[in-house]
Amino acid sequence: MIYLVPLLAPALLFGCALFGRSTRTAEWGALAALAIVTVSAVILALAGSGTSPLIGAAGLGLSTRLDMLSIVMLLLVAFIGWIVLRYSKTYLDREPGQDRFMALMCATLASVLLLVQSGNLVQLVAAWIATGFFLQKLLLFYADCPGAIRAARKKLWVTRLSEVSLIAAVIILFWTYGTGDIATILLADHGTAAVWAAGLLALAAILKSAQFPSHSWLTEVMEAPTPVSALLHAGVINAGGFLLIRFADVMLSAPIILAILAMIGGLTALFGGIVMLTQSAVKTSLAWSTIAQMGFMILQCGLALFPLALLHIVAHSLYKAHAFLSSGTAVDVVAATRRPGPVAIPNAAAVGRAFLVALAIYAIIGTIFGLTGKSVQAIALGAILIFGVAYLLAQGLADAAPRALTKLTAGYALAATTGYFALQSLSEWMMASTLPATPAPGPLEWALMIIALLSFGGVAVAQAMLPLWAHHPVARGLRVHITNGFYINAMFDRLINGWSVKKSS
Amino acid sequence: MTYQTHQFCDEPTVRDAAQKAALAIPPVWPLTTSVAVNPFLGQSSEGLAQTAARLDRITGTAVTMPAEWYIQRFETGQITRDDIDTALQGVKTKDLPDVDAVLKAAQQHQSETLPCVADLATDHSGTDWPGILADRMGVWAGGFFDQGQALWSANDGQSIWDAWRSFAAHDLTPEILGLSGFAEHVTALPRSAEIALTQSVQRLGLSPEGLETYFHQQLMKLGGWAQYARHHQWQADLAGTPDHGMRDLLATQLVWQVAILDQYDDALAQDWAEICAKHATPLTVTPAQRALGILQTAADYAQQRTLAEKLVAPVENAPVDRAKVQAVFCIDVRSEVFRRAFEAQDKGVQTLGFAGFFGLAAQHHDFASDVPENRLPVLLNPGVHSVSGTDWHSHQDRTARITARATRAWGRFKLAAVSSFAFVEATGPIYVGKLIRDVFGLSGNKAPDAPKPRLTTELTLDQQVDAAETILGAMSLTKDFARIVMIAGHGANVTNNPHASALHCGACGGHSGEVNARLLAALLNDPGVRKGLQDRGITVPADTLFIGALHDTTTDQVTLYDGDQLTDNHRDDLAALRDWLGAAAKIARSERALTLPRAENQEDVAKRALNWAELRPEWGLAGCSAFIAAPRHRTTGRDLGGQSFLHSYNWQSDTDFKVLELIMTAPVVVASWISLQYYGSTVAPDVFGGGNKLLHNVTGGIGVIEGNGGTLRAGLPWQSVHDGETYQHDPLRLSVLIEAPRDAMNTILEKHPDVRELFDNGWLHLFAMDQDGHMAWRYAGDLTWVAFNQVDQNQTAAKAA
Repeated sequence: MIYLVPLLAPALLFGCALFGRSTRTAEWGALAALAIVTVSAVILALAGSGTSPLIGAAGLGLSTRLDMLSIVMLLLVAFIGWIVLRYSKTYLDREPGQDRFMALMCATLASVLLLVQSGNLVQLVAAWIATGFFLQKLLLFYADCPGAIRAARKKLWVTRLSEVSLIAAVIILFWTYGTGDIATILLADHGTAAVWAAGLLALAAILKSAQFPSHSWLTEVMEAPTPVSALLHAGVINAGGFLLIRFADVMLSAPIILAILAMIGGLTALFGGIVMLTQSAVKTSLAWSTIAQMGFMILQCGLALFPLALLHIVAHSLYKAHAFLSSGTAVDVVAATRRPGPVAIPNAAAVGRAFLVALAIYAIIGTIFGLTGKSVQAIALGAILIFGVAYLLAQGLADAAPRALTKLTAGYALAATTGYFALQSLSEWMMASTLPATPAPGPLEWALMIIALLSFGGVAVAQAMLPLWAHHPVARGLRVHITNGFYINAMFDRLINGWSVKKSS
Repeated sequence: MTYQTHQFCDEPTVRDAAQKAALAIPPVWPLTTSVAVNPFLGQSSEGLAQTAARLDRITGTAVTMPAEWYIQRFETGQITRDDIDTALQGVKTKDLPDVDAVLKAAQQHQSETLPCVADLATDHSGTDWPGILADRMGVWAGGFFDQGQALWSANDGQSIWDAWRSFAAHDLTPEILGLSGFAEHVTALPRSAEIALTQSVQRLGLSPEGLETYFHQQLMKLGGWAQYARHHQWQADLAGTPDHGMRDLLATQLVWQVAILDQYDDALAQDWAEICAKHATPLTVTPAQRALGILQTAADYAQQRTLAEKLVAPVENAPVDRAKVQAVFCIDVRSEVFRRAFEAQDKGVQTLGFAGFFGLAAQHHDFASDVPENRLPVLLNPGVHSVSGTDWHSHQDRTARITARATRAWGRFKLAAVSSFAFVEATGPIYVGKLIRDVFGLSGNKAPDAPKPRLTTELTLDQQVDAAETILGAMSLTKDFARIVMIAGHGANVTNNPHASALHCGACGGHSGEVNARLLAALLNDPGVRKGLQDRGITVPADTLFIGALHDTTTDQVTLYDGDQLTDNHRDDLAALRDWLGAAAKIARSERALTLPRAENQEDVAKRALNWAELRPEWGLAGCSAFIAAPRHRTTGRDLGGQSFLHSYNWQSDTDFKVLELIMTAPVVVASWISLQYYGSTVAPDVFGGGNKLLHNVTGGIGVIEGNGGTLRAGLPWQSVHDGETYQHDPLRLSVLIEAPRDAMNTILEKHPDVRELFDNGWLHLFAMDQDGHMAWRYAGDLTWVAFNQVDQNQTAAKAA
């Protein structure tokens, strides 16, 4: 029974949503939800993981799964939810419809809390649909705004498809394992049916987490007030990744599905990351960043690095919630970059040196944290860190950069690498008993890793030397296509007649 | 096709019309240094009713409140029948015989907006072409004007025309959405925007007479983007360099229109020809527009009655021998609240009002910064250059720069394509701390504390004395100096607010005013300057200390820059000053708490500065409705509600009326820009307002768009004029009250036609105050004046409507 405690959190927030005056109650509801979740963490620490009794029949209904995965997600969502609701209370003060807004935010938050503690397939599906439903309502907070309507129509298509896909996956799972209890399903032996289920779960996740080519609605959600973006990008969007991690055992039984996930995730990560470079509006840029980050997380899932994917979800959510809520500082941020004078542009030699130094830092710090114990996949993805740190170092190693700057960037690079390994070790340690270990790579995995490394590396090098080629006429033309996200959005609009209006005559 | 008269639209005609159209658009400054701009800047040669007809034709924008707003005020007695009647008498029109006719006509407003080709195409095809066009132009312009948001910048120094052609020739979106052959159409365009513009005009079949409103309309459709290009033109004009951005933008718009017309030619040709013909007809003011103009004037009159009563009410003003403190504040209406509270602290406290750049038009380089900041009114070119810190600070300067560059490198690490993944995995959890810090407002905002600024322009002692003499004369402070003279600039204190600079000092170009204040204090403390002043008859006692300060308009804290000079002999004076300032701050905050939502008391007001979710940290200049240039004792002790610009002026010591001329041509004009910006953002929030803050998406570091994209939004956000329940700014035209002889004012108006037209066309009201400081004469246009206290003022409303 004690495992039912986490269920109080969404129940409370649904209560706040239902019983009016949400502006007054929302923040306290969210704070109480955070407290409940914290208590649940204590329960988990004392009683160990487990599933609550089922509220339902025939193995279907509501039940709470309390384990490291659900508690991490619960803490994350409740914390961000509280921040966002507290923010909204002031931000939307005296806005007509604030009560409605707060109620919808509470309901969305409650749905996500319900989702991440799902112990049963029915609850999973119901919460999945509920998040989409309430988010859709929030997106249309300004229901007359053509931009909001257009975005909402796109989102509805994607949401519906993901729901159908999830329902199909759940039916297969129930059919195959004869139970709706997720923990039981995870522990069972997985046969061919699991491959089908994994495929459908993957599809649902891809659609929910805005993966290429279903991403375009996400970049248009700015038609709703800022806190919606914060909650969406820091809470709701993670549902896809959570689904894959929750069903990690099922996913592992389908290497081919994982490979597809890795490809789509990797592609989305690069695609989103590159498009982000060209975006001039801060929230739009953040949205493309989310697409890219979700892509990277899906890539990690595809490489069976589930603990790292979870770490990515947590880290990204915290960062992105803050980034959206503080997006009003963009004027100051841009102005501040102009004050200390021009950026020192590294040449090819400096970039080369930076990559070597980054590799050395990675090897040294990695060895301290025990590189040898890691899976090949984790070490390979660590190259991303090398590429990133190299970019940081290259700015300090440019010929025009003063020595003091070189030292500071090197210091940042060391700190970033240490943080990376420390968090990774922590997350692997925390999830060791909850999530399956990464299997040894086969030829397919090796090929994927090599492709990922080459493409990420190529982009990293190009990025480091961007100022040297960005204004070449060819690059200028390419930039137009990139700015437009290679027209996926325009084609989607065309497909659903997004720009049509009622004729006035 | 009888309307086609394109043979008349040759290149010079089109060029002239394009130049005129550019001037019809008000500029907008980037949000780093935003200042208020009169949105009707291009229409000041005509009155409100004529402007109503013009803007109705091109965008359907009303330039007054809806009739119900006036009627409601009429019914509650705020606007009297007399007010309306007086306003009506000033307008010679047969359509509106009496007040009831005015009230009736005002409610029968019907818009007669002319659609453009894109609008017609929408009606025909059901595709939202204006929306697509705005979206495409937004994507292009966002990149083109970006000052550093995107790491991969789009702007490499091309002209607008070249950059847009290059973009549009590659952009496949229009064709995907159904505008076939658009890229090819663009590729085939001439390299000269002027030729392309002329060709487009000819293709569209516009006549020379139709160009004025059509061009104006096409630029208006670009919203803030056109205004931002106009800002570039403004800067170029000041610098004396050519700028063709507006013409280029206009050409891009017309290219779109032609492409759409080509696509739907058969279906649209006839309708379009009719619209071209309508553009060529003269503007006619409808009775409804006339009536709304009259009601607006009546609303202005109603407020003037209240103001006149306030100025007549008796107050006690005991003169003192020598003031203990004289404090010079900016004329900004927010200062009025603080000055009143400050003066209430002690009889020895005197305050003065002066434009917040304090006469020093400084182009300033802040500490460790390469960016030149024009801390001066945007009407002027920089007069002097200054920098924060001395050579002694060079090591600190270098260290600060390196730190800033490292921070910048980290920022790029955070945003770049591949490194952003590493950034998130290495540092994401740190944001737990940042979220908690910011949600509780724990980071704190320090007042600007750069090292003491100094002039880098080499001025001879004579020039310095000249400057000091002029400035002191202009602020009517040439005798009876107190022991402490505080020069207080002002700045806002807000968090996470893209419009922060709009709350700073407009006279300092959207910066906070402490630099100019500190520069002036240093100048006036200089012994050489003091001696020079004495030779010119201005005796500053040896024990007088000038001290720079900053008035934080959000929290009403005043920071003293007492470290800038030796203050050993004034320790007690400064201690007393600090006490008074602290006490005054509480009173001022209590007053502000009355109008700020969720502010129960003065402490709540101060907390708003640190709240990152706060959309209304302060009301800025909302409510501004009067400008008073007179000695302070005319207004001392009178509660003007934070709605008046107060400029100290003593005409008796202004022998050649040079100071009066300065006031009427500079601060009055700046105040009119502010007042009309509030007016425009209130009456036409969709066109002249900055939109909904809840949806603001900062773009390029220069402005905001609403939501995903489209046009840049200039002007004040809705939340800056409305508190969610009611307007915080009454849209009234500014009443300028000057205590000076009418002849002197007439002479100045005659000499400055651009200022005169503001008054003659009713964008501002002008009053002369009498020897008792009462509003005695109303300027009635054409250099005539009528006594204000007479009820029957037949001419008073002339042209004001």
